[in-house]
Amino acid sequence: MSGIAGTISVSLPNSPCVETVSTNQRALDQFLRGVERRALRMAELASGNRDEALDLVQDAMCGFVRNYAGKPQAEWAPLFYRVLDSRLNDWHRRRKVRGRWLAVFNRDSAEEEADVIAQAPDLNDPGPLLRLAGNEAAAALDQALGNLPLRQRQAFLLRMWEGFDVATTAQTMRCSEGSVKTHLSRALAALRRALEQHQ
Amino acid sequence: MNDPDKNSFDQAAWIAQARQLLDESARDLDAHTASRLNRARQTALALQSVRSPRRWLLPAGLASACAALLLAVAIWQPHHSALSPAPDTLDSAATTAGAVGTADADTSPADDTLEFYQNLEFYAWLDAQGKDGDG
Repeated sequence: MSGIAGTISVSLPNSPCVETVSTNQRALDQFLRGVERRALRMAELASGNRDEALDLVQDAMCGFVRNYAGKPQAEWAPLFYRVLDSRLNDWHRRRKVRGRWLAVFNRDSAEEEADVIAQAPDLNDPGPLLRLAGNEAAAALDQALGNLPLRQRQAFLLRMWEGFDVATTAQTMRCSEGSVKTHLSRALAALRRALEQHQ
Repeated sequence: MNDPDKNSFDQAAWIAQARQLLDESARDLDAHTASRLNRARQTALALQSVRSPRRWLLPAGLASACAALLLAVAIWQPHHSALSPAPDTLDSAATTAGAVGTADADTSPADDTLEFYQNLEFYAWLDAQGKDGDG
């Protein structure tokens, strides 16, 4: 048995199959390295929480590797963002359901609800660090993007930040090209309004 | 009235600024977050390395199965043809027999055996006659 194992371990490194796998893995590593930070920012803007965003990105990476790593590299970016978009939608749906249940349980305790709102962080307050000049614009943009509905935000980020065309964005978001245009137009109008109010 | 060119220029300008701010926010992640992202990536890549050998094993397994099947057929066929001659062998035998004589070509070993069993009583009687003749 040890002889067989020895033969396998000696013969495998020379096989072209293993070389192809390691090349593919290197390409995959490079690709994920290239998209992970943007993906994290997208997830963070959707969830409003960095830890949740990291979990979502890891989940998206695993889903992408499991299902699409064998696809041509040119298709990787739209497919990765498609998986991420799907994870963000699931997260958003779960949170809505949880919010509905919490609303039912908290209906009787209106005073407590008032307290919770009072204790929640003020989104208009950028915080001590962000009051510094230069970071205000970034904070305002974060806030404006965070206030957008999920689909509008995704349309804006995929089209304007990631640079996808309308067709690829539609494929990534699993909707029609017309929907992408509508979401983007509304997102641009809302962001412009929000940023002008901030100035 | 608003100038549409100016509006589109403004829009392009603030979108470019927004893109730049988003790029900066992605670039300037703290070390702890970057490390966690790295771990997440390694976890995903580990899935790939676990899956890869299995992907290569599938065609290899199929090829082995085909080779085994071919080998089994190759071993079985000569043995089978030894027990019962192949149709083309029979044809060639019939052709040869036809050249020698039509009567021989019409009788096969199976027919001989059947005839022997049908006339078994006659052969027994012939045998008994022979013995009586000897005695």
